[in-house]
Formats: sequence, C-alpha cells, structure tokens
Amino acid sequence: MELLKNLPEMDLMRSEKMTFVQLIIPVESAHRAVSYLGELGLLQFRDLNDDKSPFQRTFVNQVKRCAEMSRKLRFFKEQIHKAGLLSALPTMQPDVDLEALEIKLAEHEHELIEMNANSEKLQQTYNELLEFKIVLQKAGGFLVSGKSYETPEGIELNEDVYPSDYPESASLLEQATQSGPSNLSGLRFISGIVPKSKVLLFERMLFRATRGNLLFNQAPADDLIMDAVSSEMVEKVVFVVFFSGEQAKTKILKICEAFGANCYPVPEDLTKQSQITQEVLSRLSELETTLDVGIRHRNAALHSIGVHLTIWMNMVKREKAVFDTLNMLNFDVTKKCLVGEGWCPIFAKPQIQEALQRATFDSNSQVGIIFHVKDTVESPPTYFRTNTFTNAYQEIVDAYGVAKYQEANPAVYTVITFPFLFAVMFGDWGHGICLLLGALILIARERKLSSQKLGSFMEMLFGGRYVILLMSLFSIYCGLIYNEFFSVPFHIFGASAYRCRDASCSEAQTIGLIKYRDAYPFGVDPSWRGSRSELPFLNSLKMKMSILFGVAQMNLGIILSYFNSIFFNNSLDIRYQFVPQMIFLNSLFGYLSLLIIIKWCTGSQADLYHVMIYMFLSPFDDLGDNELFWGQRPLQIVLLVSALVAVPWMLFPKPFILRKLHAERFQGRVYGILRNSEIDTDSEPGSARHHEEEFNFSEVFVHQMIHSIEFVLGSVSNTASYLRLWALSLAHSELSTVFYEKVLLLAWGYENFLIRMVGLAVFAFATAFILLMMETLSAFLHAIRLHWVEFQNKFYGGDGYKFKPFSFATIADDED
Amino acid sequence: MGFLLTTLIFVAIGIIASLCTRICFDKGPSANLFHLTLVITATVCCWLMWAIVYLAQMNPLIVPILSEVE
Repeated sequence: MELLKNLPEMDLMRSEKMTFVQLIIPVESAHRAVSYLGELGLLQFRDLNDDKSPFQRTFVNQVKRCAEMSRKLRFFKEQIHKAGLLSALPTMQPDVDLEALEIKLAEHEHELIEMNANSEKLQQTYNELLEFKIVLQKAGGFLVSGKSYETPEGIELNEDVYPSDYPESASLLEQATQSGPSNLSGLRFISGIVPKSKVLLFERMLFRATRGNLLFNQAPADDLIMDAVSSEMVEKVVFVVFFSGEQAKTKILKICEAFGANCYPVPEDLTKQSQITQEVLSRLSELETTLDVGIRHRNAALHSIGVHLTIWMNMVKREKAVFDTLNMLNFDVTKKCLVGEGWCPIFAKPQIQEALQRATFDSNSQVGIIFHVKDTVESPPTYFRTNTFTNAYQEIVDAYGVAKYQEANPAVYTVITFPFLFAVMFGDWGHGICLLLGALILIARERKLSSQKLGSFMEMLFGGRYVILLMSLFSIYCGLIYNEFFSVPFHIFGASAYRCRDASCSEAQTIGLIKYRDAYPFGVDPSWRGSRSELPFLNSLKMKMSILFGVAQMNLGIILSYFNSIFFNNSLDIRYQFVPQMIFLNSLFGYLSLLIIIKWCTGSQADLYHVMIYMFLSPFDDLGDNELFWGQRPLQIVLLVSALVAVPWMLFPKPFILRKLHAERFQGRVYGILRNSEIDTDSEPGSARHHEEEFNFSEVFVHQMIHSIEFVLGSVSNTASYLRLWALSLAHSELSTVFYEKVLLLAWGYENFLIRMVGLAVFAFATAFILLMMETLSAFLHAIRLHWVEFQNKFYGGDGYKFKPFSFATIADDED
Repeated sequence: MGFLLTTLIFVAIGIIASLCTRICFDKGPSANLFHLTLVITATVCCWLMWAIVYLAQMNPLIVPILSEVE
C-alpha cells in the first residue's frame, strides 16, 4: 500500500487538474487578448450571455461583417472554380488589417460582378449575331431560288444554295412573286431560327393558326448554337414562313415568341443580303476578340485574388471566431471592461498569464488584465493530454462516454487489451502480416495523408493507424499460438507431440495418435489440424480460454473501481461495494477458472458443468467422480455461502449509512448557516447547498438496488458474453479453412494453368474482402463491445463532458 | 521446454522490454509509469494466452484422430 501511494501519477490515468478562472479585460486589449488565447488554445470560455439571442449580443455587427466577408470569399472561390483556374499556392503574406481587407474584398467583388455582367451581355450579342448570320445564309437560299427567273445573275450566284425540301413548293412561290416582291397585302415572309426539338410542333402550330395559308421552309443549321435559355449548345433549324395578311403576321410573331424562336429580317434583294452578311461577319469577328480580351482580363483578376484566397479565408474565420468568443463575455458595470469566465488546466495558467501580458503590452493598454481563480461547484470538464498514438484509443473510449472529472480512464488498459482481444478473435499470422503491411503503409505516408482531404472511410482507417498496427502485431502472435497461416499449420516450434501408435499407423483413423512427448512448446500442436477430433479439442480450449480472459478483465475492472474509491476518499464504496463485488465474482467465476486450471493440470475427467450446477442445486452431496482436489466439497459450500452473503452486503448497508451521514451533516448545518451569511452568497455555492440538504432515501435505495442487481445478474451474462471470443475465432478459422481447401487446393489440383490462376485470384479476393475486411470489422466491433460493456460497467461513470478550448487550430478543422 | 522455464522466459522478455522503453522513451516519471503499465499489460496478456494453450495440451483427454486419406 505504501508503494502504491508513493508512485507518481500515471500520465493518462486521470484527467488533468482543471481550475475555474475569471478574466477581467479592459476593452482596448480585449480583441488582442482573445486572439492570443485562441492561438494558445487552452482556455474554454463559458458563455455568459446564454439567454441572449444572437442579435442582442454586443459584437453582432462585427460578426455580420465577418459573415459578409466570408460570403464574398466563397463567391470568389466559386468563380475561380467555374473559370477552371487552378488554385494557386498560398504565399507568405504580412498580416492584413481587417478593415482594409473588407474594403478590398468589396472592390474585388464589385469589379468581378461588373466583368461578369459585361461578358454576359457581349456573349448574348455574339449569339444573336451568329444566329443572324446562319439565318442569312440559309434563308437567303430560299428566297433567291423563288426569284430564279427574275434575275438570271441570281441563279449563277446562288445555285448551290438550293434547300433539299424546296422543289415541291416552288410553283406556289413563282405564282406569288409574279405579283412583285413584298407589297403590303401580298405574300410576305418571316425568317428566323428555332431549336430543332420544337420545330415540328412549331410548324403544326403555325399551320393551325394561319388555317393552312402559309408556306414553311426549314433547313438545319450546320453548327451547334448556344441556347440563351438553357445555356447549352443545341441544334437549331432555320425557317422561313411565307404568309399573307396583317393578322397572320401578328399571330406568327406571337407564336415565334412562345416557342423561343428568334426572328431576323432578311432582305430580299441579293446585294443587300450580301452586304448585310459581310457586316455581320465583321461584327462577329470583332465581338470574338472583345470577348476573348474580356475573359483574359477576368482570369487575371481571379488569379490575383486566388493567390491570397486561402489566407484571407483563414483570417476571416479567425476573426469571426474571436468575435463569437467576445460575444460570450459580459460588460461590467462601468462599461470599460469585459468579464469572462472559463475553465483551464492548472498547468496552463503560466502560459495564459504570459499571453495576457503580451496582449496588454501589444495594445498599449494602461491597465493590465486581471486573471484569477474562482470557486465553483460545477464539475470541471475532462481533459486528457494525448499524443498521436493514444489519441485513437481515447476517442474509442470517449465514443461511449467522456470520463467524469478525474475518474480512472479505461484508455490506459484499452491500449493493450483492445488489440489483444481483437487478435484472440482474429488469430492467423498470415492475415496478421497483411494487416501489418497495411498499417505500415499508412504510417509511412503519414505526413502526406494528413494534409490531404480523405474520404470518410479512409479517414477512419488513417486515424486508427496505430490501433491497426497493434492489432496486427497481436494477431501475428495469436496466429503463431493458434498455429494458423491462412489456416495452414506449421512445425515452427519443433516436431509434433503426437505420433502413430505403431509403425503401420493402422489405427490412426479409428482410435487416433498417442501423445509421446511433452506438450508442444508454443501454441497448438500442428497434428490437430485436419483431424476429426480437431473441433471438440479446439472448442473446449477456446471456450475455457474465453472464460479465463473474461474473469481476468472483469477483475481488472473491479480493481479499477477500488482505485477510484481510494482517489475520491470514498471508504463507504470500498467496504460496501468493492469487497462484496470481488467476493461474489470470484467465489463463483473465479472458482470456475480455478477448476478449469486444475482440470488441465491434473488431466481429470471431471465434468465442470456438472460441478458448477450441482454446487448450487445440492451442495452437500458427495462429488464422486467429479472430485478434482481434496477438500473440494467444503470449499464449495464456503464459496456458495460467501456469494449468498455478498448480495445483501452490497445491497443494504450503503443507503442506510448514507442517510445517517447526511443526517449528521445536516444537524451541524443549522449553526453553519448563520456563519455563512457574512460571506458573499451571490455565487452558485449557496444554491448548491440547498440541493444537498434534500436527501431522497427511496431514490438512493432504488439506485443501489439497481446497481446490485445489475452486477449480480451481469456477472453471469458478462462471463457468458466473453464466449464471443471463442465464437469469432472459430468462425475465422473455419472460413479460412474453407477458402484454403475448397478454393485454392481444389484449383491447384488441376494441371491446367488457367484454372490455377483463376483459383488463386478467387482465393485472393475472398481472403481480402471477406477475411481481411469483414472479419476485421467484425472482430473490431466485438472487441469494442467487450470493452464498453463488460469491462467498463464495473467501474466507469462516463458522464463527464469534454474540454473544448477556444483554439484556432480546431476552428480550421471544424469548418472543413 | 517446461512450463516454468517458458514462464521465466516471458518474465525476462518483459523486464528487457520495460528497460528498453525506459531507455528509448524517457519522458518524465508519469509518462514512464504509463509506458511501464503498457509493457506489463502486454507481457501478462501474451503470457496468459501461451499458458492457457500450453496447460490445455499438457494432459489432453482426447487425441487427434486423422480423417480419411483421400
């Protein structure tokens, strides 16, 4: 005991000591102080303005400005992404002032929006001109061939522009044009361009609207054109509609509008047509160059923004975080100081004081920042200082529940027992080597992978790389013990301990081999694999092994609860909880473990099921063949009685003693209240004392009863639960055997090279996906369950809350 | 090799491992205690596993019966 008390405190065993502090900061140094504290990352602020809405807080305007700036930055990022520019590498920049940044961002945004609007307009004009050009080309062909006999020169110029579907309508047009081109009430035309998908419907609609009094010609455009509505490249069709009458014209125009068809005027005169075509072509080339220049200009602007973008985003995030934290502080009465409260670890106090002093100095403030310890009855947050190795295990434990302040941390033992129990269920040194290779690859590329953004599955794998490393090392060890290399046994540790009874091995298949030497020195004897009595032997071995591991781990849990009671000076718990729990568990299941070991050592044929069951049913009967050692019957009676005594021992005394203790304290309190009125009562301790004065006996008693019943019934169910170690290891071994014998050996039996390759491939895939992935996940899950439930419910409270300091480093992780 | 002898070998390996950890990763008394706990837990777990399998095979109640040779 003396040695135990003199040991230094273990690193990860209990939470760091935390203290509640109060900060009084003058306004001029507030912003700087909070930024320096954010860089330090060791103080958790308490939100003193909990009841106010976000709009009632002091610094709401600054937060809004920061939000606006980050919106602008996101807009820039999107634009850069749309323009297809690669993000530039961030350069080292001096710190930019926040207000200057705001103005700069507003300027850039304005510029960018303007450039975008201009280029859009230009693009639209460009599209229209393009359509006009195509209409001119195609429609010109329709019109010209109609006047073929009016101007012979026209024929020569435009002979090759005959549209394919035109000839049958030629006669109508010839008749019409004899009366002369475009008179007011004569035949007129509208030319335009319409998307190809709508052209049939368009034609039918026009036909109906004009009651069949029209002529519709169409020709497809050669290139894809940008559709203004959907901004995609679609096929369009040039059309010319010949009609007569004013009403028809309005109808047709309306229908064109409805279908999104653009109408362009095409002059009938040939020379005018060619003139206009030239004009359009030249304007198009001008526009092209203008657009080009515009895009390049915009890309240059975006590039210059992109260089600073990451730094600006980080800055704005940090500023927003600082203002959010400042919002948690209260203004004091004189409105000249901000008051803040929070938790910090005791070891960090000098660092925090130093940061605050620096802030006072840097902001040229006359008044220093006051930083002092304050009392509170609230329970502190839990803080474990983990490194990259222990972090994954702490997260596994925290996923179940964060440790209460300063209670024993199961992660200390989980670091070893979790990979070990995994390995008991996974034991195969071939698969272990594959896992080891995977873990080593992850660890070797640690630096590269930690800076990348990984998918969620890969991230979990990467985060647990040290867990997987230990899991694989223990799997190799257990695989050597189970003697399984992809389910094949080896004779690594010497010859087998079994051999045939005689030289001819005639009885090997009926009675079996005999054991002629000492037991195989390390692990399971290789003769067992493939024998008919393999399963009965291994099942018996693994079931008993699971019980032994289970009892050992549960005892460790109860012993940890003893250490907790010593730490919190709770002698009541030691006498009325730890002792009866130990007695109960060990007189039943500890005794079973002892019987298992004795049976193995003596080779007795006793039936342990029988022994245990009849220990309860008829303890006074003679044991007969089941006697394993002298004095077994009296010992069993003693153990049974002590187990039966332990149950009321853990159930009854504690609530009554608690009530007595509380009554004693409350009696002394009457005088205490008078004394306490002189001390300031405005803080929480006063109200907390009111709470303690109520002692609900029935509640305490029921709580204790639940706890005891849970332990008693749980001891049976938890011990049985450890049998999953047997179950999963059996499943793994059987799967492995099946894949080896029925896939690889079967395929290898054929002489054909192709079949052998196919068999090898199937074996590799099955091993990788079923055994390495599915079985790993399965064993991982069951090992976690054994730790969370069977191990931790013996001692773990797990109702604390985690220490979340205000830190710039975590903000960067959060936002992403 | 005998149960006792191999147990002593495990104990020796445990002691050597603790010494190596103390030499290579000396980071203050509380961290050293933590490392020592880890090494001892690992040694005990491994020894327990080996001992169980060894004891189970010391006086077996059944022997391997070979299956039909194909």
